[in-house]
Amino acid sequence: MRGKLKEGASIVGVGCTRFGDLLETPEIKGLSMQELAAMAAQEAMEDANISPQELDAVFVGHAMVHSTQLPGTYSQLSKWIGAQFKAGVHFEAQCSTTNVGAAMAAMAIASGVYEKVLVVGLEATRTRVKDMSPYERVPISTEEAWAWTDYAVNQAYSVPQGYEIFSVYNGLVALGYCRKYGIAIEDYDRAMFELCRTRRLHGAMNPKAILQETLEDEAARLGFSDPWEFWKSRFNPFVAWPCRIRNVVTVADGASAMVLVRKDAARYHSEAPVDLLGFGIAYSDLPWYDKDPSLWPIDRLAWQRAYQMSGVSPRELDYLHTHDCSNIVGMCNAELSGYIPEGKWTQYARDGRLRYDGDRPMSTHGGRHAFGHAWAASAGADTYEAVLQMRGEAGRRQIRPWPETCAIHTHGYAMISTVLILRRC
Amino acid sequence: MADSIIKRYYDGLAEGKLLATHCDFCDAYTFPPTTACEHCGNPDVEWVELSGKGTLLFASHGAAPPPNARFVDIAPYTYGHIVLAEGPVVQGIITGVKAEPEELQALFERGPVPVEPDILTLMGLKVLAWKLV
Ligand SMILES: [Zn+2]
Repeated sequence: MRGKLKEGASIVGVGCTRFGDLLETPEIKGLSMQELAAMAAQEAMEDANISPQELDAVFVGHAMVHSTQLPGTYSQLSKWIGAQFKAGVHFEAQCSTTNVGAAMAAMAIASGVYEKVLVVGLEATRTRVKDMSPYERVPISTEEAWAWTDYAVNQAYSVPQGYEIFSVYNGLVALGYCRKYGIAIEDYDRAMFELCRTRRLHGAMNPKAILQETLEDEAARLGFSDPWEFWKSRFNPFVAWPCRIRNVVTVADGASAMVLVRKDAARYHSEAPVDLLGFGIAYSDLPWYDKDPSLWPIDRLAWQRAYQMSGVSPRELDYLHTHDCSNIVGMCNAELSGYIPEGKWTQYARDGRLRYDGDRPMSTHGGRHAFGHAWAASAGADTYEAVLQMRGEAGRRQIRPWPETCAIHTHGYAMISTVLILRRC
Repeated sequence: MADSIIKRYYDGLAEGKLLATHCDFCDAYTFPPTTACEHCGNPDVEWVELSGKGTLLFASHGAAPPPNARFVDIAPYTYGHIVLAEGPVVQGIITGVKAEPEELQALFERGPVPVEPDILTLMGLKVLAWKLV
């Protein structure tokens, strides 16, 4: 593998809907998936100062066809985003989809085939089509959402033999981490509380987040003067001991998009283009880890490949997002990336260093818990946040000074580890 | 009818056997078995039966109701991370340990413990679960 892009590619436009519920959340309530996807795509094209007919190709991804009932999504969307007659493909890399799409776009541009590519991701994990209605939707139950999502997981052996995400992706990883570093379960719980406070603070400052209430405000609303007592209460049960429900994903409906062009044409489209310096991708199937649940071979490889392609070293990173559908997996990756030292995240979380105003800011959009998680659209939402931060457009949660070099890590269930390294031009 | 590896594995479970494949090229096991050595990709592998001896490293639990209807009657159940005597790492349901914080914490503090297969039948399918020895 040469592991190099022959020509640079830049992100010149980004778009993202509010993440929420198509039956409830005001900004997206009542929209169809076509309209939701178009909303993100049009924001990205406007941001890139590009018309749909100027595009060379459109890469559209989503994972859970059961809720959208839109296979062949690129063609079904073509008349909604105005890009018909272009080259296109519907692809999926589960929850890494949009960032794998960015990597595919960069490769297409570097090869000389396409110059301008739109990547779109969409997902509905809270609502599905009602019967065969063109516009009516109904809620999805939690079990139904996971059963459909788990179609992406080992169907020969693991799923029929009792696999379930919360233990394998949360509880066992947490126990592996605690044993490795000699951390008491109570101290782990306290660090997770602090991490959640940070993420919910970020969500409260983000008008596109699904949860915009701080943990402290939620505790007070439910009658607790002490948020730590609230954390340990029946309102915050263990989903997989020692992991609680507020350290895991909040499912969402949403869409995201980005426009990539040749680096030497980037200034024509944007005053603040962001270079996609490199990426790393590695995949595997269950079990995702050997004896140590806190160390995943695919993550190690994805980080290595991304650093190698980009020529960036961990100490150059100013901002990091790691896939935090499970907070503990996200923090294991923060340590693996070299952004924070091994065995130290609990201390960093307790000291507030992972906040937007800390020295190691992470997941300032709120992460999977507070921003929400719309499977295939989420990686694009993570990149959207990094681009806003690099441009100084992140509002109240703006990192200062504005970050120059960012890394975005995502896990596509199950399991595609993806890392993008981005830098402001 | 062609031979299905998956079918043969489940038929093995019905006889109380843990069937794997072994790769002579890299001297490693693939368990449960597939069409290639999961370590090096070699398709030329041999069927072997594992001893069933394992060590439970960690145990947590899942949700109720579970996403898979097969497990409705036993959810929430304890789920463990196990290394087998021959080397493969497997994950599965742990019987005899309640999916409650106190019991799981006691198990965590005890450290790795030996386990053996406890093969269940759920909605007509053999399920490889594990019990403490
Ligand atoms: Zn082999």
